[in-house]
Amino acid sequence: MATLDEKQAKAITKIALSSAMAPELVVTIRDRRTGNSRFAQGQPTTEGDVETLELAVTASVEGRSATAVGNRSDKASIQALVAEAEELAVLSPIDPEHMPPLPATRTLDVAGHDPATAKLGASERAKLLEQALAVARAQSIEIAGYLEHHDESFTVATSAGMFAWWPSSEASLSVTCRTLADHGSGWAGAVSHRAKRLDAEALARTAAEKADLSRDPEPLEPGKRLVVLEAQAVADLLGFFVGALDARAADEGRSAFSHPDGGSRVGEQLFDPRIEITSNPTDTEHPAQPFTGEGEPQRMVEWVANGVLRSLVCSRYWAAKTNQKSTPRPSSIHMRGEEVELLDLVRAIDEPAVLVTRFWYNRMLEPRTILATGLTRDGTFLIDEGRITKAVKNFRYNESPLTLLNNVVAFGRPQRVMSGGIVMVVPPMVVKDFNFASSSDAI
Amino acid sequence: MSTSRRSFLWAGGTGLAVAGLGWPRFAAAGQPERTPAPVKPPASADLAELAQSPLLADAALAERAIAAARKAGASYADARLVAWRREQVSVRDAHVSGVRRSREYGLGLRVIADGAWGFSATWRLDEKSIDALAKQAVAAAKTLAKLRSEPVELAPIATVVGQWISPHRIDPFTVSAGDKANLLIAASQKLMAVPGVGHAEASVEIQREEKLFISSEGARIHQVLFRVLPQLGATAIDRKRGRFASRQHEIAPMLAGWEHVEDAKLIDDAEQIGEDAVRKLHADPVEPGEKTVILAPSNLWLTIHESIGHPTELDRALGLEANYAGTSFMDPRATGELRIGSELANFVADRTQPGGLATCAWDDDGVSTERWPLVRDGVLVDWQTTRDQAAWIRDETKDVNGHACSYADSYSSVAFQRMPNVSLQPGKDETTTEDLINATDDGILITGRGSWSIDHQRYNFQFGGQMFWEIKQGRLTRPLRDVAYQANTVEFWRSCDMIGGEGSYQLGGSFGDGKGEPSQANAVSHGCPPARFRVNVVNTGGGR
Repeated sequence: MATLDEKQAKAITKIALSSAMAPELVVTIRDRRTGNSRFAQGQPTTEGDVETLELAVTASVEGRSATAVGNRSDKASIQALVAEAEELAVLSPIDPEHMPPLPATRTLDVAGHDPATAKLGASERAKLLEQALAVARAQSIEIAGYLEHHDESFTVATSAGMFAWWPSSEASLSVTCRTLADHGSGWAGAVSHRAKRLDAEALARTAAEKADLSRDPEPLEPGKRLVVLEAQAVADLLGFFVGALDARAADEGRSAFSHPDGGSRVGEQLFDPRIEITSNPTDTEHPAQPFTGEGEPQRMVEWVANGVLRSLVCSRYWAAKTNQKSTPRPSSIHMRGEEVELLDLVRAIDEPAVLVTRFWYNRMLEPRTILATGLTRDGTFLIDEGRITKAVKNFRYNESPLTLLNNVVAFGRPQRVMSGGIVMVVPPMVVKDFNFASSSDAI
Repeated sequence: MSTSRRSFLWAGGTGLAVAGLGWPRFAAAGQPERTPAPVKPPASADLAELAQSPLLADAALAERAIAAARKAGASYADARLVAWRREQVSVRDAHVSGVRRSREYGLGLRVIADGAWGFSATWRLDEKSIDALAKQAVAAAKTLAKLRSEPVELAPIATVVGQWISPHRIDPFTVSAGDKANLLIAASQKLMAVPGVGHAEASVEIQREEKLFISSEGARIHQVLFRVLPQLGATAIDRKRGRFASRQHEIAPMLAGWEHVEDAKLIDDAEQIGEDAVRKLHADPVEPGEKTVILAPSNLWLTIHESIGHPTELDRALGLEANYAGTSFMDPRATGELRIGSELANFVADRTQPGGLATCAWDDDGVSTERWPLVRDGVLVDWQTTRDQAAWIRDETKDVNGHACSYADSYSSVAFQRMPNVSLQPGKDETTTEDLINATDDGILITGRGSWSIDHQRYNFQFGGQMFWEIKQGRLTRPLRDVAYQANTVEFWRSCDMIGGEGSYQLGGSFGDGKGEPSQANAVSHGCPPARFRVNVVNTGGGR
């Protein structure tokens, strides 16, 4: 069954809004059809076709608010959900930071729904799996991976007149190849709102090639090293930076962007002047959700320009309190790069360096400096005289994304990478003095 | 400032110093009565509640789904009707910041056709949707079966008809959100009254998971599980020096009712939490290097989860999770031989442990839960398994029908092997935390959960904590900051040379054990006594 069209979505929000006794109501609907297939040991393992619905109603009465969430869309259930939110709200203490719902506002026009992707099912999944499995079979290499696609609509409506509906689709495929006897492992992944962009065979070939190259990894001393971070590795670290872009935390002295004398460091040259980080939900190749769960429109935002910190995320409450413009948490992050292929970046390096495919189990250690920890995984190589010469054992890093933004030597071509929740389009980067803290035997 | 004066007193104290710290008191709050070795789940709470369940009205639809799947060619089918209720009340700086209640209900149908798994799920509970669901699941299984090299093998099991409700005194959904918020506000106010504390965050999350499992083999199992998670934290800020420090309460989430939150005495502990935050802010940075650490149960449980819990998952070891969570440094072929720790390293898996978040009476394959050893005297002896994994390890461990580790986190999720409660067994004598401290000349006592990270084969890990106390000549001397410990799993457990006795054993746990694609959350607990290790201590202060 297809997901809700605009008319159906509007009808549901209308039932909720018209049955409300509370003066303020915000309704969101996320309606999704997901299909997935996993594979491992050279064969499919589990799979699923799943329908989910999330209908959320936030009711507010004189600064008292509560949210009730359900997964039924019939009239009686919607009305009961509204009544539940209202009952919870009146019993809740007053939230002094309560903000009224948003009035009707225009949102950016974003085309993020691909009908062919929305229609995918088990037989299309099987075809893609077959291509990936065939590569592994031909090379007698272990393969495991995951294919997922979804068709979704997201709707927000408020009692103040806002209504926004956005249909979207997405497909992603990730592949891990391993050579069991001699400790090789390689990974490749891709995601797009158009399933047609997924080349299962090419991804499997990359993963297999990396697994082959990474056989018999040798230990290398940890320490500060010159690194080539593939785009996925850049995104894995940059996520912490995006998470730290918060005006309130900065103003309250709880952030890497707090100024010692009060306020934030917005306007300061904090990074290499080549660093440019923006949000652009309308990018036709990489569209992103054009509004938030409150119905606040996403905009084009310059976070960092010429290495200067330009903006921080600012909630509507904090914006009103500190007399600045509100800026929602972004749905997309783009980082500027150069039109240089990854292997050309490698060729240009004339001293020993480490190439990192991706990072794993990344966790924040210290928010004061955005110091994070995690490990390299599935393809870590030594570069010598412009060539990948051998596989090296994985490292644990203790490093901050701020180092990436300051110690950059060169950029490659930006590409969309796998990232939870938001669209990230970032380049591979050559970075100096990257801190590998210890070595790991993991393969 | 009162904080430094009290720190001074503690540094100069003797036996009293330990009693004054407060950490054993927090960690012990709200722990269920300890039963050392249950082999079946605790007695059910009032089963009358199940007779009124709205799920029973949809049992016919579940039977219909199974019949339709069988007709379409499935050799096996099970249907789970799953209803979740969650409530979260959050408080920031002593005012309410969120009240959220959610419900989710639907049917998940799992089939085996032509030797392959198929799964479909929907919230549309009408006959037409269910018939379509069954056809879709079977067709998908048959399509993917063409790419399989060997069929799925289900171990034979006894057919179960049964019901169970997790023990609780107070259904947490009967306590109003307003009362919950007021409790959190009262605790936050007390915490914020401590000089130097800038911010407070408090929350409570409660869960009710109800499921009715019906299979083509005649199983019919109805269960309800209640879980609660209270949290309280303080942030102290030193603006001039550009520093801040946070302190989280060490209370564990439990399979329990609201009584767990009442017993936790958050308001009584609030001042201590606030003072600890300030103490952390002004603590001396740790000197990195190889050191002895004593890990309190409130810290060690997570290290057990990551370094022992995950690598003893059989599907990981066999490469089924290679693309996401990773594999394991433990090789199934080395079962019974692989030494992964000292003689003190005895781990049991147990889905029957009172209060344990992964405790239930039957798993999501319909298999009775149990308790079994994973590591005995430091040697790997068994694995976490499910019904469809038993055949893979039977030659090594004589696994009959799996160890009932199957779990799906929603009607919309497919069941697969998830972690049971995995616990380090206490020592045979009555060693206490104080005994461990007194026996240590130079070390650090670490309590509470901080940052955590471990590689995808579970060798190299690095964990933080909440509070860090320097130990000199058997005494706690001063608090330290910016501490993390890094080690190799096997070297770490081999270095374990002293553990607490049964009286010092406590449960910790999490709602958020992640695994699988799409990722699913599993709630799981880990019990342990305090224990002593040699590790590489890292300073995480980032130079400031």
